[in-house]
Amino acid sequence: MLESLQYIYAPQIINGLSIGVAVILMALGLTIIFGLLDVINMSHGEFYAAGAFLGVSLMGLGISFWWTLIIVPLLLVPFGYLMQELLIKKVFHHKDRHILTLLLTFGVATILEDLYKVIWGANTAKPATPITGASEVLGVMFPNYRLFLMMFGALLIFAVWLLIYKTSIGSIVRAATLDRNMSASLGIPVNRVYALTFAFGVALAALSGVLLAPIYSVFPTMGKDFILMAFAVVIVGGLGSIKGAVIAGLLLTQLQSLSSLFISPVWSDPIVFAVMVLVLMFKPSGLYAGMKNG
Amino acid sequence: MDKYQYQAVRIMEYVMLVAAIILIIFGKITGDTFFLRLATEALIFGGLALSVDLLLGIVGLLSLGQALYFGFGAYLSALILRDWVPSFWLCILLVAISSAILGWVTSYIALRSKGVYFALISFGLAQVFAKSIYNTRALGASDGMVGVPIVQIPLPFLTLNLGDAITFFVVTFILMSCIYFALKYFLYTPLGRIWGGVRSNESRLPYLGYNTQTPKRIAFILAAIVAGVSGALYPMLRGFVSPELMYFSVSGNAVITVVLGGVGTLIGSLFGSSLLMILKSIIGTLTFHHHIVIGLLFIVVVIFAPKGIVGILCTKLKERATR
Amino acid sequence: MQMKKIVLAISSVLLGSSIAIAADGPIKIGVVTPLSGTYTPIGQQVKMGLELATKEVNASGGIMGRKVELIFEDEEANPAVATQKAEKLFQVSNVDFLTGTVNSGSTLAVGQLAERNNKLIATTVSFADSITSDKCSPNVFRVNARAGMQSAALATWLAKEKPNANVFYIGPDYEMGRSTVSAFKKAAEEKGAKSVGEIFAPLDNKDYSPYFGQVRAAKPNVIYTSVAGNDTVRLLTQMSEYGVNKGVTLVGAAGTVTSQNIAATGSAAEGYVTGVGYSAKADTPANKKFLAAFQAEFKTQPDLYGTDSYGLIYFYKAAVEKAKSTDTDKVRAAMKDLEWSTPQGMKKMRGGDHQAMQEMYAVKIEGGQFNVIGRVPAEQAIGPDTCTRF
Repeated sequence: MLESLQYIYAPQIINGLSIGVAVILMALGLTIIFGLLDVINMSHGEFYAAGAFLGVSLMGLGISFWWTLIIVPLLLVPFGYLMQELLIKKVFHHKDRHILTLLLTFGVATILEDLYKVIWGANTAKPATPITGASEVLGVMFPNYRLFLMMFGALLIFAVWLLIYKTSIGSIVRAATLDRNMSASLGIPVNRVYALTFAFGVALAALSGVLLAPIYSVFPTMGKDFILMAFAVVIVGGLGSIKGAVIAGLLLTQLQSLSSLFISPVWSDPIVFAVMVLVLMFKPSGLYAGMKNG
Repeated sequence: MDKYQYQAVRIMEYVMLVAAIILIIFGKITGDTFFLRLATEALIFGGLALSVDLLLGIVGLLSLGQALYFGFGAYLSALILRDWVPSFWLCILLVAISSAILGWVTSYIALRSKGVYFALISFGLAQVFAKSIYNTRALGASDGMVGVPIVQIPLPFLTLNLGDAITFFVVTFILMSCIYFALKYFLYTPLGRIWGGVRSNESRLPYLGYNTQTPKRIAFILAAIVAGVSGALYPMLRGFVSPELMYFSVSGNAVITVVLGGVGTLIGSLFGSSLLMILKSIIGTLTFHHHIVIGLLFIVVVIFAPKGIVGILCTKLKERATR
Repeated sequence: MQMKKIVLAISSVLLGSSIAIAADGPIKIGVVTPLSGTYTPIGQQVKMGLELATKEVNASGGIMGRKVELIFEDEEANPAVATQKAEKLFQVSNVDFLTGTVNSGSTLAVGQLAERNNKLIATTVSFADSITSDKCSPNVFRVNARAGMQSAALATWLAKEKPNANVFYIGPDYEMGRSTVSAFKKAAEEKGAKSVGEIFAPLDNKDYSPYFGQVRAAKPNVIYTSVAGNDTVRLLTQMSEYGVNKGVTLVGAAGTVTSQNIAATGSAAEGYVTGVGYSAKADTPANKKFLAAFQAEFKTQPDLYGTDSYGLIYFYKAAVEKAKSTDTDKVRAAMKDLEWSTPQGMKKMRGGDHQAMQEMYAVKIEGGQFNVIGRVPAEQAIGPDTCTRF
């Protein structure tokens, strides 16, 4: 019993954790954009891809991986800002905002995917793993980079949570999204806040792209890799709730990881969707509703 | 619908009719088959767009998974025609009934929520369904099924051969017209009015004594039938089915054609589907980066013409009238 | 707008049909291949191989004095799009021959369309056995090696190097992935290997680490995989990171490691062995000449898809010259048991099932190169003719 716990379940759980951190990072940006700005960003995955591609290019120029972690998200900020200002803002006040932003970002996603192919070519690329080797955890070998990713990812998630809930910048953002007019009359530059929040969300996606590239490799259609899981996590966790994204992310990835022990792996995606559908049916606001509870 | 919208819709209906007639004449003269069949395919996917517009434009529910019913209809049709009996009428009838049942069952899952959540549930349902078909060897798994025979339609006075491009086009055109006018008819019934009420202010209706779930369910089932029957025509045209027919891209494209044509106008869906198919064919031949072109087009439409082509027509008419 | 649409449509058809009417113009070969989406790299190799061969053929006078013209359409690896584009090529551009389909679903659907339009098609990539066995068609030819042939080459090598091995199978869960695994499993078990487990992960699976526990528990000394493209990069590098491939011989399908992903897979692909119909390191004069020309033209190496596509043009040329016509029935008859020269040596198109026969290699990746380490003659590799349709 103890042996099966150690050799079968523990590795699955720990593996699920490393995948979970990856998914949560993706979902964080999405829940911020979806929850705070009420925008369905179908192009979120493409920003994840952009981060990965830029990371590969920068590393190709000789810049070390650690620097790309900082540079790449910063590079994406102007793009996110512009996208919000030039595109999303135009349809934001429309009655059918949800559909229009969905279609708009879908159009952007289509363009970006082809664009990556044009710029970087169709072949797969993979940056060298920044931390090599493996260590033994609970009797099973784990690659060091993944262990690093889990810890760094956890830190990052915590930092984002701190930023949004415990700093004045965060409260400005929350105020601007909860009550636009009131915030504006209190002197908050609402448009700029919106644009920067969007930029922040996609920068997070890009950062996850850089972090995950050594594990999952880089290619033009990679934007679709995590987007479905990310949406599921956002829905189940509750729009705009970071705590929800974390818990839902961990739950769903553990579900996937452990279920592969008992059923054929191809059913793991449908199971996640089934959970998402069930949550939507019975508690559509998700596990943790929105902004107020963190 | 105001006077200009009414006019605009009428104009579009005539345009579609005239275009169809021109196409048929053109087909008869040149003996062309490709463009007729392309137009037929456009109308088939136009049917799917109609089902999306019924839910989105009329009732106010954005469905991102109508391809589920389309694919279901397609696979069922392929199975009936290939493995049972190649009868057109039987096929359509069975598909219509089965789609209705499927729509009814899934409505209990999907109609639990509204707005964005409804969209996501519909998306999730389609994904799960598509994955299941993809994993089922009996249905050809990822390769799909080929070998669907060309059908004949026995009528009292003559037999229509669907292998002939003009015949198939005419049959599809008539079928889609019937569906279109049937849906239009519904709009002017009390049921249609309730749908309009659900779209504009659903929370108010119960206070006025109306049950909202039932009308929504009816719309959902109708949409499933329309999508299913449209799907049933696909294997008759192309001779095969594959899981790609249920992927998100199909549902997404349908939504795009609805927006392109004009949400809520019904005719816009048929027009939008034709336009998009032709555009894709032309752009696809000109450049291999057609995705970028189409993507840009969507963005332009969404930002500058969210009411679609019918909307643009409407505005032009209003301008002319008030000049 | 509707008017413009119609005018445009009319003019393109008139243009298309006017080209069709000129019967003594170029020989048109339609190419429906994925040029966007996940399979783009394969489509690009197909395009390059076809273009190089066409250039050479045209430079030496064309086929029966007529130049060859390639018309490309993007099938987006979707059978629905493939049939639409193929129909356009058949009916509007009036092509004499069609090729380029990559996934077996597209090949089967387009093959059916070819039958209905009385045209011939050939595939240079699809390796599902069914295309030339239970789902064979009189209008479909296959120039590349099928899964069964690749397995035969690999199984022969494996039986020699690692007799009675314990094999674990990892594949993507779709028709190709599964049938490739079962083809090899059959061939290997016939030669004494034992199967100790199998896993089919979804296509485009990102993370294989949840399955490594199972793999380890089964204690295999050989792991066979049929993943491709990006999945290969992920599976192999993740296996290497987790140390799953320590002391294990890694073998797999021919399409698993190609020019598209070998750079990204890097050292994780070292030691990988496969059975395949082509290697850039194969030492024949025809191959050397081909390699030089390909490298000069495209600044990159060909892989099996590029090479087989190159060979296709010469196959068609030989058939048309033998039939002295481009008429479908005459060319089909000429293609039966036709032998022609390719960078892989002489190939013969078996008349019974339209499957090309060729010598197969066992190939090992060493230092990023595909070194030939074993050979199996054509007759031994091809397997029985199970096509009963014609």
